[in-house]
Amino acid sequence: MSDVILSGRGLTKRFGGLVAVREVDIDVPRGEIFGLIGPNGAGKSTLFRLVAGIMAPSAGTVMFDGHPLTKKSPAAICVDGVVATHQIVRPFRTMSVLDNVTIGAFFGRRPQPKGREHARAIATEVLERCGIADRAQKPARELNLAGQKRLEIARALATDPKVILLDEVLAGLNPTETDRTLDLIRSIRAGGTTIVMVEHNLRAVRGLCSHLMVLVEGRKVAEGLPDAVLADPTVIAAYLGTSVHA
Amino acid sequence: MRKPIVFAAILFAAIAFPFVAPGAEYAIDVVFLILLYGTMSAGWNIVGGFAGQVSFGHAAFLGIGAYTTGILAQHSVPLPVAFLVSGSLAAIFSLLIGIPCFRLTGPYFSIATIGIGEATRLIALNWNGLTGGASGITLSVTLPIVTQYFLALGLCAVVVLATIWIQRSRFGFALAAVRADPDAAETLGVNTTIAKTQALFVSAFILGCAGSIYALHYLFISPDSVFGFSTAIALVIMPIIGGLGTVTGPLIGAVIYTAIREQLEANFQNLDLLAFGLLLMAIVLYEPKGVLGAYQRFANRKKRVASTPAAAPR
Repeated sequence: MSDVILSGRGLTKRFGGLVAVREVDIDVPRGEIFGLIGPNGAGKSTLFRLVAGIMAPSAGTVMFDGHPLTKKSPAAICVDGVVATHQIVRPFRTMSVLDNVTIGAFFGRRPQPKGREHARAIATEVLERCGIADRAQKPARELNLAGQKRLEIARALATDPKVILLDEVLAGLNPTETDRTLDLIRSIRAGGTTIVMVEHNLRAVRGLCSHLMVLVEGRKVAEGLPDAVLADPTVIAAYLGTSVHA
Repeated sequence: MRKPIVFAAILFAAIAFPFVAPGAEYAIDVVFLILLYGTMSAGWNIVGGFAGQVSFGHAAFLGIGAYTTGILAQHSVPLPVAFLVSGSLAAIFSLLIGIPCFRLTGPYFSIATIGIGEATRLIALNWNGLTGGASGITLSVTLPIVTQYFLALGLCAVVVLATIWIQRSRFGFALAAVRADPDAAETLGVNTTIAKTQALFVSAFILGCAGSIYALHYLFISPDSVFGFSTAIALVIMPIIGGLGTVTGPLIGAVIYTAIREQLEANFQNLDLLAFGLLLMAIVLYEPKGVLGAYQRFANRKKRVASTPAAAPR
């Protein structure tokens, strides 16, 4: 077992009377693809936001490489090396695709680029990796959904993260686009970046992730290797819609 | 590489202007006003345009600059010192208001800045010992109009160069990200609060310096003239007329604003707010990108007509 790069202890998030995430412990192993799955409303996205530092937990702590992230701003967390993509894509719409990624290159974890041309060069390289370099000069709003989802990943990658959190990057993609995105995710991991992904597409998750965690109604119900987790009766019950209330 | 040549040509023409037209005091006075308002407009644009934080309180910085110069001049402080202190005090004040106001976003920020503007006006009105209250301050220094002209020209050139630099720099990218989507900017490592505060600091320094020149030109300042709401509105209108978040837009806006205002003052006094209100509505409805946006559309159409249909648009 490799060491843990990102971990959460006792993470809880309440929205008024609703407990979206209830005392969840999470350990993301370094250099792996960690999948977070569960039925709709299970609290995946909430847990994702807690771990990414976008949202503050009601209780619990998040540690990254031995340092607490819980009190930091999203910008500071990104500079530390943890970056998240948005489930609903949020490109800087009027800016060009290249400028979108240039912002990631200018800020983020990497040493500050020496001027605009340097940052643009980094951004161009990332766009090539993500397969959207041919659309670099287009305004971001003109990309189709698959393109915008890639842009979302490219922008995050340009910050040179140690951990990248992907929130349903496969949702809404056709099979060809899905396969291309899976290849991209594998290449990111091959580059040494740890990946945490929230995903609905179980088939994709089974082939891709080295570690899975299942949330149901805000609680962790299973964790471990994909095949074992997906064969777990509790998980199957949750996905087939049977209530798992005690 | 055409732009630097155009910039140099305009700068050269502006430098030569007072020597070519030495007798025409009125003409020099008009161009001086355009330069001064252009400076204020471009200064506001750093926060309102580049960072997208529409401030209705920038008259506060102008007023602080004007009053600082007025008060220091009364105590015979050398004018260059007064000029720099005016800009610096306005910039320091910007930190005091930036920290609370930048916790607010969008319209809430704008509303808070209205409060700041009004608060500074009331302070100037009531702090009799320092500001002379409602009777204002009369300056007893005289600066030749040509000196004022070159002061305004110099400041304006500095502001234009600063905005050109901002547009290309890391700082400019941060401001563009803040304007486009502050939350997305944060997740990409942009500290939006610091970026906005820095933009406001630079902007306030420029407005403070402009306020100093304002005081040296009019030689009389009162709470209603520099801190007044119509001044605050003028600072918003000019960049919007010309084109928000651009280098030349705010200057074009200042030319149009000054021209219209001179006409209104001469012929229809007290109609200026009405006229500018209507103009603002028309621009927001029909040409949100201002004169520059309209020009660009026109240029694109011409280009499209000129090129063959087979030629791909860039």
